[in-house]
Amino acid sequence: MKKTFFKKMSVTASALAATLLVASCGNSPAGNGTETAKDTTAPTTAPTTASTGDSTAGSDASSGEGDAYLNIALNSDIVSMDVHKTTNDYLVPMNVFDTLFTTVKNPDGSTTLVNSLADDYSISEDGLTYSITLKDGIVFSDGTPLTADDVKFTFERILTLPESAQTDYAIAIDGAQDMLDGKASELRGITVIDDTHLTITLAEPFAVFLAQLAAPSTSIMSRSITTNAGDDFGVVPEKTLGTGPYVVTSWDKGVGLTFEYNPHYWGTEPSVKKVTAKVMDSSSMDMAFQKGDLDILDCMMLDSAIVDSVYKTSYSDKIVSVDRLGMNYLMLNEDSEPLNDVNVRKAIQMAIDRKSILDSIYEGDGNLEDGIYPTGCLGYSKDNQGWLSYDPEGAKKLLADSGYPDGFEMEISLDSGNNDASKNTVQVIAQNLNDVGIKADVKTYDHASWLDLRNSGKMNSFLALWILDYNDPDNIIYTFFGSKSNSAIRSCNYSDEATIARVAAARAIVDPVERITEYGNLEKKLIQDDAAWVPLFSLKHLYVVSDRVESFTPHWAGWSDIYFTGVELK
Amino acid sequence: MQAFLRRLLGVVLVLLGVNLLVFIVLRIIPGSPASVLLGEHTSEEAVKRLTESMELDKPFAVQFFTYLKNAARGDLGQSYYMKQPVLNLILDAFPNTLKLTLLSAAFAWIFGIMAGIISAMYPGKFPDNLFRGISLLGISVPVFMVALSLQYLMYFKLSLLPLMYNGSFMSMVLPAVALGWNSAGSIARLTRLGLMEQAEAPYLDTARAKGLTSRTALLTHGLRNAIIPVVTMMALQLSSMLSGAVITESIFGISGLGKLALTAVQTRDMPLLMGTVLFSAFVISLGNIIADLLNTVLDPRLRSRAEAEA
Repeated sequence: MKKTFFKKMSVTASALAATLLVASCGNSPAGNGTETAKDTTAPTTAPTTASTGDSTAGSDASSGEGDAYLNIALNSDIVSMDVHKTTNDYLVPMNVFDTLFTTVKNPDGSTTLVNSLADDYSISEDGLTYSITLKDGIVFSDGTPLTADDVKFTFERILTLPESAQTDYAIAIDGAQDMLDGKASELRGITVIDDTHLTITLAEPFAVFLAQLAAPSTSIMSRSITTNAGDDFGVVPEKTLGTGPYVVTSWDKGVGLTFEYNPHYWGTEPSVKKVTAKVMDSSSMDMAFQKGDLDILDCMMLDSAIVDSVYKTSYSDKIVSVDRLGMNYLMLNEDSEPLNDVNVRKAIQMAIDRKSILDSIYEGDGNLEDGIYPTGCLGYSKDNQGWLSYDPEGAKKLLADSGYPDGFEMEISLDSGNNDASKNTVQVIAQNLNDVGIKADVKTYDHASWLDLRNSGKMNSFLALWILDYNDPDNIIYTFFGSKSNSAIRSCNYSDEATIARVAAARAIVDPVERITEYGNLEKKLIQDDAAWVPLFSLKHLYVVSDRVESFTPHWAGWSDIYFTGVELK
Repeated sequence: MQAFLRRLLGVVLVLLGVNLLVFIVLRIIPGSPASVLLGEHTSEEAVKRLTESMELDKPFAVQFFTYLKNAARGDLGQSYYMKQPVLNLILDAFPNTLKLTLLSAAFAWIFGIMAGIISAMYPGKFPDNLFRGISLLGISVPVFMVALSLQYLMYFKLSLLPLMYNGSFMSMVLPAVALGWNSAGSIARLTRLGLMEQAEAPYLDTARAKGLTSRTALLTHGLRNAIIPVVTMMALQLSSMLSGAVITESIFGISGLGKLALTAVQTRDMPLLMGTVLFSAFVISLGNIIADLLNTVLDPRLRSRAEAEA
């Protein structure tokens, strides 16, 4: 420690000296003479395909060999590169790691699961055992071969990490609960047959297990690399290695990341060889893109007024849009008076003019949604659509019948990190509610406070968005209504235990038709009969691309995190 | 010497107080690091498990004294969010903040003092009105507004300077001006005021009687006296800039102390926030002591008082 301290102090001292020198000369060349010590050195395995400068930094945008670089912006830094430890961001797992399967979007908007690390698979008739063969010859970015044991290790790690955020993705495997409870040291449901063959046995049939294996949450990690890295895994780029198309070459906390192509990658060589992702505020992103220093701009991160006035006009031919498989909803907490009254919740559903919000704030870029599953989600049924209409008079009558002729007071909590369109949406909702006599007070919290209040189950009401992690109704319905605790942590506190039990039981239905029918019935029960939340709309996710980009395929569900392999440069 | 030791003891007490305050505030405000780390899509069980493993469920007093005990041994703990020793993170970030501070201080001091002198030399005339206007803008326009305007003008319109910090000197110019802008305004106003007060002083009459021109008398004799409060302000500004220019560092993407502290607050990263606040409090205390020492050197009256006390 002492040695490090003096080393750091000497860096500090030299930085001071260099600054004074630079300040006194005033004509120093723009170089990196005063570069500071960071944990952002290139990995030992770093390929040297391209050597771009810090091009999002401004007018000194530089190009690498073959101009195969891509500059993108992030509105906030990532929490961890280790996807097992956070559900916050998926940029690194999507580009540095691989999953056994992956999801691709078809031209008609439907999705298909395709093999990724898996070469082949079969499912036993009882739906319990998955026999998986891995592709031959896959290695991690340091050359370590991928084996079936790494797959087993991955799921054991998800269950045993104290800070694991993804246990829902492994809990279906036989023996998972024992591991989670510390009663077993090995996951008995996974049997490694040889280096490329394994079987995964579930505790009970679980139709969406395969889809879960395509979510970045189940990114496969190497037993040896991860174990050797210890606490540095997910923190230090050169120790956070996967089998994916890129390696992280630097992560400057709070500032951004750089990625380079992994020459050991087993798949098709991507067009983009180097990526710089910089954390920027929305006005900087806007300026940087217009100056040609950004290649992909996420319109979600900009003020909607700027998107409308600048990008939809001057850059209309550069806009790439994807129908987002995400539900915008207003949650109503059944644990609070008078939201525990189903008629009050129904009145709120009727009081909100969703169409005018969609048209005025989002310029109609989306679909009104009347259920739980957004358009494009497996299980989405037209039968459960079209029943909810804006009816303020009806809402007033329902309120009066429920004993609230003069309305009541309620709070809508807002995460300050939301974009301005969401903030405007909440204001319009509050106004709509005021129009029927409900005095809705919008209260803004910083993200940590908002999350804490929501997790405590005591948030009165809030506007939020759920974008699918995998394309299955289970992903959204189970998350909110699959158990009392799932419902509580999202401040929903849905009270009908029989329905909760049905949602949990639906996971085990093997027959696909029967399963989807049950999910449709559950959607009707939850939203139409019990008014568990106010469904609002699903939106298009818009991006703008620069002249350097030939084509760009966003994430199938419209996440802000993108696959760099989905970008073709000119 | 005794006075100096007394000051040092004061610093230690301030640091302890600051520590306790931050600790209490972090307990009062809602928001748990476990929730932030795990993200929105996680489960209740995961949050509970992580809270236990981070020992956040332990009583307040236990957590505080454990922290204090470790801090006394020089161990500021490990960041919840960045999973690295807090001291290393601070010492990594400090050079960037130091560079930014020194450059912006250089800008603020040179520009501020010169503007103040010019204003004082032409009271009520065009240069005075011009610089007074500019310095009023300096103290009244918030730093983010200055930063965004500078980015718009120098990067977007004129393509002269980079938008974000990239390690180069040129990319540090905009942040330095944005951060120093406010200080420059205050310094200019204080210098002008000081010089104009000195211009009325009887000793300058003596200087002029000895044959010096008004301007030379003011600049050689008056400035020396007028500069004393300015130096105090400069030292205070320097230490507060050093303690973390949160907004400037965030806008320009500089991984300095301010950005570190901001991340710590946003993620409720207790060890990291305690570390950055402790470090900042230390730097500010040190800055105050240096300002006092400088004043003693500049002002003979303080020197003799200090000697008398000793």
